[in-house]
Amino acid sequence: MAALGPWLLVLPATMLLFLLLVLPVAGTLKESFDGASGGLLDNYQAFFADEFNRVVLIRSFKIAFMSTFVSLVAGFLGAYMIANASPNLKRVLLILSVFPLLTSVVVRSFSFMAILGRNGVVNTLFLKIGLIDQPLELLFTQGAVVAGLAYLFTPLMILSLVGVLENIDDDLYAAAGSLGASPVGVFFQVTLPLAVPGMIVGSILVFTGSLATFVTPVLLGGEQQMTLSTLLYRKAMISFDWAAANTIAAIMMAITITCVIAMGALANRIAAGRKMR
Amino acid sequence: MSARKINPLSKIAGWLVVFYLAGPIIIVIGTSVSDTPFLAFPPQGFTLKWYHKVFELNNFVESFITSMEVAFGGTMIALIAGLAAAYALSRYKVRLPAWYGSIFFLPFFIPEIVFGFSMLKTLIVQFDLPILPSLMLGHAILCLPYIVRVIGASLAGFDFSIQEAAVSLGMHPVKAFWSIVLPNIRSGVIAGAVLAFITSLNDMAVALFLTGPGVSTLPIEVFTYVQQFFDPTVSAVSVLLMAVTIGVMALIERSLGLSKTIK
Amino acid sequence: MAQNAVILQDLVAHYGPTQVLHGLNLTIAEGELVSLLGSSGCGKTTTLRLLAGFLQPTSGQITVAGKDVTKLPPHKRDAGIVFQNYALFPHLTVAENVGFGLKQRKVAAPERKARVDAMLERVGLVDYANRLPAALSGGQRQRVALARALAINPPLLMFDEPLSNLDAKLRVDMRVEIRELQKANGRTAIYVTHDQEEAFSISDRVAIMNAGRIVQLDTPEVLYRRPNSAFVARFVGFDNLIEMKVVKREGDLVTAEVEGGALITLSQAETGPLEDRFVVGARPEGIELTADPSNAIAGKLLTRSYLGRSYQYKVDTPTGMLIANAPLTQLHEEGGAINLKFNFEHCCILPVEEN
Repeated sequence: MAALGPWLLVLPATMLLFLLLVLPVAGTLKESFDGASGGLLDNYQAFFADEFNRVVLIRSFKIAFMSTFVSLVAGFLGAYMIANASPNLKRVLLILSVFPLLTSVVVRSFSFMAILGRNGVVNTLFLKIGLIDQPLELLFTQGAVVAGLAYLFTPLMILSLVGVLENIDDDLYAAAGSLGASPVGVFFQVTLPLAVPGMIVGSILVFTGSLATFVTPVLLGGEQQMTLSTLLYRKAMISFDWAAANTIAAIMMAITITCVIAMGALANRIAAGRKMR
Repeated sequence: MSARKINPLSKIAGWLVVFYLAGPIIIVIGTSVSDTPFLAFPPQGFTLKWYHKVFELNNFVESFITSMEVAFGGTMIALIAGLAAAYALSRYKVRLPAWYGSIFFLPFFIPEIVFGFSMLKTLIVQFDLPILPSLMLGHAILCLPYIVRVIGASLAGFDFSIQEAAVSLGMHPVKAFWSIVLPNIRSGVIAGAVLAFITSLNDMAVALFLTGPGVSTLPIEVFTYVQQFFDPTVSAVSVLLMAVTIGVMALIERSLGLSKTIK
Repeated sequence: MAQNAVILQDLVAHYGPTQVLHGLNLTIAEGELVSLLGSSGCGKTTTLRLLAGFLQPTSGQITVAGKDVTKLPPHKRDAGIVFQNYALFPHLTVAENVGFGLKQRKVAAPERKARVDAMLERVGLVDYANRLPAALSGGQRQRVALARALAINPPLLMFDEPLSNLDAKLRVDMRVEIRELQKANGRTAIYVTHDQEEAFSISDRVAIMNAGRIVQLDTPEVLYRRPNSAFVARFVGFDNLIEMKVVKREGDLVTAEVEGGALITLSQAETGPLEDRFVVGARPEGIELTADPSNAIAGKLLTRSYLGRSYQYKVDTPTGMLIANAPLTQLHEEGGAINLKFNFEHCCILPVEEN
C-alpha cells in the first residue's frame, strides 16, 4: 500500500491527461491516416494537392517567422531594459509585461483593430498630419496579423529573456570592460551570446504560439489571410470536412513537435556546455 | 552593485517597447468612453453608455456567468488532481521516475486548436457529453500545467520533515497533509488556482469547438460580436475584462508574488 | 627605489549617501605587490574598483604609470584583473578567454594565437585550449583567469580575493604560483584579501584597512612585530591589550602600574622609549603562567583548552580577561590562582588611544 502511495496520488492527474489529451489527440492523428480509399496518405495527398492549402501553409510559416522575429527584437530590448532597471522600475515593467499575458487574446487582438482600422489611431493620426488623404487599408493584411501576433507574444519573449539576462554575472561585464571591450563590444561579445539559450526558448514559444493562434488571424487578417489554424477551424466547423481537419491538425502537431525538439535540444546543448560552478 | 549602466540609445528603444506594450491597452480604454458610434482615439467626448450597453446585452451577461461556472469547475478539477500530483512529485522524488513531472507539461506542446478540435470529437461527438461539463474538463487540462508548476515550485522549498515530525507525534498522515503541509504552501495553491482560473476565463481555442447553441463563454461572444459590430461596446467589455486581469494580478502578487509565479 | 607605478591620492568615494573611502593615499612602486587587507566593508574592494574604473571617486586622483586615469572608463585602463569568481566567459573556450583582451586591442589573429599559446604554456593549460570553462577544475579556472589578465600586458595586475573559492591546499599552491608569475613578469600588482596569512605570504607590503582608511602600510615583518595601533595589533594576533601607567623611571628601567595595582618593570633597551602611559600588546605566547607573584599580574584561572602544541588558558585579572598559552608540560588546574608574566619578545608597545 505504502509503495503505491505516490502512484495513487499522481493517478487522477495522469488519467485526466491520458483520457482527455493523449487519447483524443492520438485519435486525431490516427484518423488523419484513414484515407477515403484506404490509402495511408490519402488525406495528405489531398491536402497538398490543393494549391490553396499550400498557400495557407506557406503563409502560416511566413507569418509565424515574422512575428517571432519582431517579438525577438522587441522582447530583447524590453528584457534588456528590465534586467538593467532599478528595482522599482523593474517592478513596473514586469507588471506591464505580465498584464497582457493574463488578458484575453480577443481583447488584445481587438486593440489592434482599433489601431489599424479605417477610423483607427494610425489612420486618424496620418490624416491629421496630412501624410495621407485617404485612409489606408491596414486591416486584413499580412502585416496586421504579424503586428497583432508580435504584440501577443512579445511579453512571453520578455519573460523568457529577463531571467537569462539577469543571471549574467556583473563581473563578466567588468571583466570584459577591464580587458578593453567597449560597451558596444561587451554587448555583442558577452550579452548577446549569453542570451542565446533564452532567445531560443522564447522563439519556440512564440513560433508555435503564432502558428496555433486562431483569433488574431481572423480578426486582423480576415478571409484573405487564412492560416493553418483558421483553415482547421473552417474545415472542422463550417465545411465539416473532418478528414481535412484531422490532416491539418496532424501537420500542425508535426511542425510544433519538430520545432520544440530541435530548438530545445539546441538550447539544452548550449546551456549544458556552459554550466559553471 | 547598483543597476548597470546602459547606453541612452537602448534606453530609448526600451521605452519604445514599453509604449508598444502599454499603448494598445490605453487606446482600448480611451475608445471605450468615446461618445461616438465608432472607435475613436483620442476619445471624442465622454460617456459611460457603452458600459451600460455591455450589461444590457443578454449574450454578454449570460456567457459571463457560463464563463465563471466553467472556470470554477475547470479550476477545481485541475486543482484536486494537480495538487495531489504536485505533492507526490516533490514528496516522493526518489520513488517516481524523474521524467514523470514533465508529462504534466504535455498540454504546452500541443497546439490548443488541435486540442480543442480533438476534444470536440471525443467529448461531444463520441461521448455525447453536455457542453458545460465538456468545457470544464477541457479547461481542466489547460489549467493542469499551471497548477502543477506553481504548486510544485512552492513545494520545492518545503521541508517535509515537519510533516514527518507531526506524524511521529501521532498525527494521521492525511491529517498532517491538511493541517501541516497545506497551510505552508497556501500561497502557492492560491496563486496556481488564480492562474488556472484566468487561463480558463481567457480560453478561446477549446471553447471555439465545444460551445454551441445556448451555451457560450464570454470570449466567444465578444469574438462573435466584434466580427459583426465594430463599436465601443467591445472596448467597454475589454476594459471590464482587463479589470478582472488586474484583480487576478493583485491576488497573485499578494499570495506568491507575481514574478515568482510567472517565471 | 624604482619609480612609482601607482599613486592613489586623497581618494574619497561614496555608495549613494554612504561614504566608504575617507581620503585614501597609497603609492605602489614598480614591480611591487601590495595587498589591501581588511574585513568586509573596510573599503578594500572599493579601492580596487576605483582603480579598475568600475567606480568613480567623489574626489581624489589615480595615477597609473605616470598617467592620470581618474576619468578614464574601464576599457581604456589596461587593467589586468583577476576576479573572485574568475568571471570567465562561459561561452568562450579557454583560448578565446585568454585572447579576449588581445582581440579588443585588434591584435591580428596569428600573433594573437602565438601570444595565447605562450600564455597557456606558462600556466600549464596548453592541452585545455579548446575546452569551455565549465569543463575545468577550480584551480584550472583560476589559471585561465590569471592568463587572461596577464595576456594584455597590463601595467598593473589586480587581484580581487582570487583564491577565496578554492580549497585550503590549492589556495596555498596557487598563491605561490601567483607570486612567482608576478615576480617573473616584473608586474606591479595590487591584491585584495581578507586572509591575513595569504596577504603576508604573498606581498612586498600590506596595507591594513579599516572603515575606509589605510591604518598601517608596511612590510609583513614590520606589521607582524610592530603594529602601530590597537586595531592592527589585534588583527595580527596580539590578543591581549593591557594599559599601563609609569610610576617610576630608573635609567633604562621603567616601572609601570597595571589597573588593579600590579607593578611591572620594563627595560627600555628591549621595548624602546616609553611614554608615561602606554599599552602593551601581548600574544598568548607572550604571557607566561607562573607561581612567582613578583613583576606579574595576579589572576584566577578560568578555562583551559587544548590547542595541540600548547594549552590555552583564560585568566581573569583586575585589568580584564587575558589569554595565555603554556607548554603542554605545564598543566594548571582550572579555578586556581595564578600569576601572569610578560615575555616582551612576543609583545609590542602601542600608544594609548583616547576615545
